[in-house]
Amino acid sequence: MKKEEAKKLVSNALAQGRHVLLEPEAKALVSAWGIQVPNSVRIKEIEDVAVALKAVTPPLVLKVVSQDIIHKRDVGGVITGIDDREELSKALREMKETLAEKAPAARIEGFLVEKMVPTGIELIIGGVRDPQFGPAVMFGTGGFAVELVKDVSFRLAPLSRAEVFEMMREVKSYPLLTGFRGSKPVDLEKLASTVLKLSKILLEIEAIKEIEINPLLVCDVGAVAVDARVVLQ
Amino acid sequence: MTTGRDISFFFSPKSIAVVGASPTPGKHSHVILENLKRIGYPGATYLVNPNYASIDGSKCYSSLNAIQDEIDVALFVLPAPIVIEIMERTENVKGAIIVSAGFKETGYAGTKLEEELKKIGERKGIRIIGPNCLGIYDSVSRIDTFFTPEERVRRPKRGGLSILTQSGSFAELIMDEMASKDIGVARIVSYGNRVDVGETDCLNFLMDDEATKVVVIYMESVDDGRRFVEVASRCTKKKPVVVVKVGKREAGVHAARSHTGAISGRYEIYKAAFKKAGIVEVDGFEGLKDACKVLNTYELVDGKKVLIVTDGGGVGVSMADACENFGLEVRKLTEETRKRLSSKLLGFSATGNPIDLTGSVTDEDYVVALEEGLRDAFDVVIVTVLWGAPEITEGLADKLKEVRDSYNKPILICSPSCAFTRRMAQCFEDNGMPVFFTPESAARAAAVLAGHWR
Repeated sequence: MKKEEAKKLVSNALAQGRHVLLEPEAKALVSAWGIQVPNSVRIKEIEDVAVALKAVTPPLVLKVVSQDIIHKRDVGGVITGIDDREELSKALREMKETLAEKAPAARIEGFLVEKMVPTGIELIIGGVRDPQFGPAVMFGTGGFAVELVKDVSFRLAPLSRAEVFEMMREVKSYPLLTGFRGSKPVDLEKLASTVLKLSKILLEIEAIKEIEINPLLVCDVGAVAVDARVVLQ
Repeated sequence: MTTGRDISFFFSPKSIAVVGASPTPGKHSHVILENLKRIGYPGATYLVNPNYASIDGSKCYSSLNAIQDEIDVALFVLPAPIVIEIMERTENVKGAIIVSAGFKETGYAGTKLEEELKKIGERKGIRIIGPNCLGIYDSVSRIDTFFTPEERVRRPKRGGLSILTQSGSFAELIMDEMASKDIGVARIVSYGNRVDVGETDCLNFLMDDEATKVVVIYMESVDDGRRFVEVASRCTKKKPVVVVKVGKREAGVHAARSHTGAISGRYEIYKAAFKKAGIVEVDGFEGLKDACKVLNTYELVDGKKVLIVTDGGGVGVSMADACENFGLEVRKLTEETRKRLSSKLLGFSATGNPIDLTGSVTDEDYVVALEEGLRDAFDVVIVTVLWGAPEITEGLADKLKEVRDSYNKPILICSPSCAFTRRMAQCFEDNGMPVFFTPESAARAAAVLAGHWR
């Protein structure tokens, strides 16, 4: 997707009165700026399963797509480790049932069938638009307990590459990135580029109030946006 | 900057009018008149009060407009509604310092008055400091608009420190503290509710002010975030800017829908802004006192490697801990240096970092330890002096000063203890070496120099 098309996703969402981009939209947006996202396809019904498997090869993860659900995991909206068509169909049925029970009022816009990313280091990168200081970018240790662990660093955008490196060094999990107990060091230059891309998005699209990639999974294939969230003004 | 933002005239006014001047001793306006006299304000002072023909032998004008002169600074010490009335009528005023309370801080009605005040200022092109403030203390141009009696809050001597603050009580505290520590001050601005002039305009002035060597800001909130970062970034290239941010618990993004939004309290963003601008942040009043003390003598250094020399093992270790806590690097001495030290010092001295000279120390041992230790490229030095060591003398101060001057490295003295120690501290102070009375405060000050405060 080109940047111009991605910007349209934002204006369309606003036109529909939505203040949050759907996960597939958010990922399309970050990917338009060159941030790596997993291969995926959006489906609606069981009948779409065969088509999905032609587009994405297992192992797969299935995620609900809904503007009303902020924390997908909490309502059973994420199922991982799906290896074939049968498992995918079963997962979809199960997810629909759980959602009907745990989030009955949520509007379901479909389901995302996504290539599972190999395990790696979970980071978070994000940005907010501060009323006084303008766009600010965050880098830190990712995962679902981010707010608990609070191992993050902020800088005002626009950022220099040197500032991105300062942010990386300020978080406690930095040694994980440079090689910890025999693990392979990650490509810090590439990771820094990903942060700079996110900063660019925040600077170029005024309508964005909050943007976040969590987790940003750093693994053999690079720094991949496993989940992305974009909140509009 | 555009000339419209220029506030330098506040710091060199040819005339000051005190509106609401009172002949009654103890009244705010009377204290201000006395303070202007005491500090020796050299310009024209005009008194304004329609109820008096003269006060303390000086002519009293019925209104600002009755004065046949351009007024650079009009000082308002009157109830808020009357301030508005007079501001509305005045024709010959360039800047106003509105000491009066009764504005935004009091609620809805006061907020309305403050909005009106702002509009009048903008319409008439009158720059405003305040309301609800103490105004300016300026040892360079000899202005003192603080309504605090001198015998209760002492005024510091002239020096290179300038202080910007939203809080008036803070201005008084730091003023008294600097006076008692004999630290010199250039300009103090208390701008209270900050209807117009705030830290950004002040910083823009202080940046090129030759009298100001260091700027200290007490900040509750910022006046104009982006412009502040831009101006402060230019200022820190010329002189250090230190900030104390209070109100750190303020929530960030309202009803955040992302972790980033939820985590980013306003303080996290302030911190990012200070870093961007190269501002050194210190924590609380203690941190600020230490910062003022050390920056009164030394300039910022380029690294964070600290050398510790001590005559007490325990204090040395706690000093090393404190240094690490404040983000400094307590690097070991090189093997070569250790060998040289061992050959020159008593056998039982420890030659790591800290270098522990023990209670058998002599003045000369300190010199040897410093001269050898400094071969290992340290950025800043903390020397602990415990006066229990019987052989050290007052002459130590002179010797340390010599080392400092020939090696051109900042030396901070840490001398914890009571009566005798406090007396001896004077020897160091007389030699221009700042003395700290706890390991934490010495380490905090060294961290300020290294700019690596967190």
